[in-house]
Amino acid sequence: MPPEASVESHHFEALGTNCSLFAVGQSRARLVEGEFWVRRLGARLTRFTPDSELSRLNSSAGRWMDISEDMESILRAALRAYAMSSGLVNVAVLPSMLAVGYTRPLVDGPAVAALGGVGPLPPLPDVLEIRGGGARVAAGTGIDLGGVAKGWMADRLCNALGPNSLANLGGDLMAVGDGPSGEGWPVGVAGATLSLRNQGAATSSVRKRRWGELHHLIDPRTGLPARTGIEEVSVVAASGFEAEVIAKSALLLGPDIAPIYCAARAMAWWLGGTHDG
Amino acid sequence: MRLFLIKAVATALTIGATAVSAVFVTTHLKNPAAPLQPAVLNAGNGSSATSLDGTLTVGPSVQPSNAAPITSTYAS
Repeated sequence: MPPEASVESHHFEALGTNCSLFAVGQSRARLVEGEFWVRRLGARLTRFTPDSELSRLNSSAGRWMDISEDMESILRAALRAYAMSSGLVNVAVLPSMLAVGYTRPLVDGPAVAALGGVGPLPPLPDVLEIRGGGARVAAGTGIDLGGVAKGWMADRLCNALGPNSLANLGGDLMAVGDGPSGEGWPVGVAGATLSLRNQGAATSSVRKRRWGELHHLIDPRTGLPARTGIEEVSVVAASGFEAEVIAKSALLLGPDIAPIYCAARAMAWWLGGTHDG
Repeated sequence: MRLFLIKAVATALTIGATAVSAVFVTTHLKNPAAPLQPAVLNAGNGSSATSLDGTLTVGPSVQPSNAAPITSTYAS
């Protein structure tokens, strides 16, 4: 076994969660640059500030709006996620999020839920249109990029941090290269340790960001918090983005279909808290 | 008469080709001990273990490790 290389690490809070960056053969300054990138992009993608790029897009009432290159890439990734999941991962979830009371960061507490007008989400391609440098969101709808953005950002961060690095943004992570010992990056998945090389991992759960009977993970088929019979899914896949899409899709599919779905799409998977939906 | 000959030859060729094919196939049986490609062999039956309150299944492209995890995936 080759000698273990020294790992530079950097931890910080951003995107409403804990973030960790690791790299072999890079300076700490490089990791701090990564933190700044996360903060800058996070400020553009948040729906909790009215002047963010995402909030302006959501409030553009169907008009075309100029968007940044990163925003365009993430929105295109959101459309890919929708297609990959046959509609189960749908970022056109903002009206449902607001209806269940998730109107502000949960550290400030949820608002009162008003579920009366909630229904199935519209197809994302009907809500979101993208052209080079521009996008529009249909009037009366809205998008929340959530975990799709975190997985996408983890993948991008690893590209920037170097060929042997790992980015973990609130549990959505990407690991590239052979890790510190040459055997991959040792990553905890559901209590076990797996060596990841050029692979991502993500966890989707209804156990966190929960208040009373409500939680943040919306089932696009109902527009309401998911009740599928699985409480948490962790997945290893080819990228952080793919892992996020597969984990959320599996959770929404429920305990009968999720094992088959994961066997076809994921490299490793854990289904937790399964019960009759 | 000529037409009959052509039909007879064609029929004989068809029967002959079928017979030769049958002999060829039966003398070139696939070795039942030949291994499948590793990914195919393992894709349907990756190792599974009960972990926390669920089941962790690990496919052949991911290696379990005895090392301490440097970080984890988790719900946030």
